[in-house]
Amino acid sequence: MVPAEYVITDEEKEILQEIMNIAFGKAAADLAEVINIFVVLSVPYVKVIKAAELPDYIRHEIRDFSHISIVEQNFWGEFKGSALLIFPAGAGKELISLLDDDAEASVESGSIDLLEKETLMEIGNILIGACVGKLTELLGDVVTYSPPRVIVENNPREIIPANLFDRDYSAIVMKTVFRFDERDINGFLFLTTNPESIKWLKESLYGFLAQYE
Amino acid sequence: MIKKILIVDDSPISRKMLKSCIPKDGGFEYFEAGDGLEGLETFKEVRPDVTFLDLTMPVMDGVQALDEMKKFDTNSIIIVATADVQVKSLERVMQLGAFHVLKKPPTKDGVQDILRKAADHKGQVNGPC
Repeated sequence: MVPAEYVITDEEKEILQEIMNIAFGKAAADLAEVINIFVVLSVPYVKVIKAAELPDYIRHEIRDFSHISIVEQNFWGEFKGSALLIFPAGAGKELISLLDDDAEASVESGSIDLLEKETLMEIGNILIGACVGKLTELLGDVVTYSPPRVIVENNPREIIPANLFDRDYSAIVMKTVFRFDERDINGFLFLTTNPESIKWLKESLYGFLAQYE
Repeated sequence: MIKKILIVDDSPISRKMLKSCIPKDGGFEYFEAGDGLEGLETFKEVRPDVTFLDLTMPVMDGVQALDEMKKFDTNSIIIVATADVQVKSLERVMQLGAFHVLKKPPTKDGVQDILRKAADHKGQVNGPC
């Protein structure tokens, strides 16, 4: 059971889902401006779960991927938490040519692993930054980011930390599934909020909606 | 003249936000649908003067719904209200015959401006009363 103070109502969930939809739409447009790619969006999903269940939940969601690459970035302001951008293993290599015109030469020179990491980091930076940035802008906050951390090609069991948050806490998980059309690559973006943010988030959601009363 | 407005969006909050931007004194009759297929069926049934259509929706997405709506009535005024602001998405829906693209979140000025344009367009298409 999720403790009562962390329960978000259906209405709050719907507002958050709509804000997430707007935020990820902005992130996709920002990415499309930088690289020539079309991002197919899906309806975002919001869920409140116990932090202890979070790693299993994420592993279950990405069950089709036997090995994954992750870009992880933390953010903090009133809205505090972590973003996990998850691709199937090998996606980074597929995406290299989108960012680097000299990719073939680099691949031949043997620096593929570094290039893959840099590609994922760049894409992660744009998607996470634009999405979290728009989300917090709509809710009246400004956040600071940690540098992104990239982990490539690992088993989900090994790669997703078992202690994302204190086990007794609850977290709001916002999930968006997307597809890079030309490359046929699917990915997930999970935003998990730190429990300290939930009170602020609930108030801010109603503040946002008040403009439309 | 615009009387019947259809709002197609899977998010009830989004429908509420959009509706709140439409002048209260317009005497409009509203119809709502929660996905593209339901939107298409409602569109065929009520023949709205203006349709606001989201793109990212379950069951049938907005692009397919737009295509079907324009095939059913080429003169229909369909305003795509979307968070998907990628240039390719906007080009695609304009090619399919969208009247305008309204970026989310909506604003009162943006919605009222486009409704005025839609009313003018409808007047021109139908001719003077």
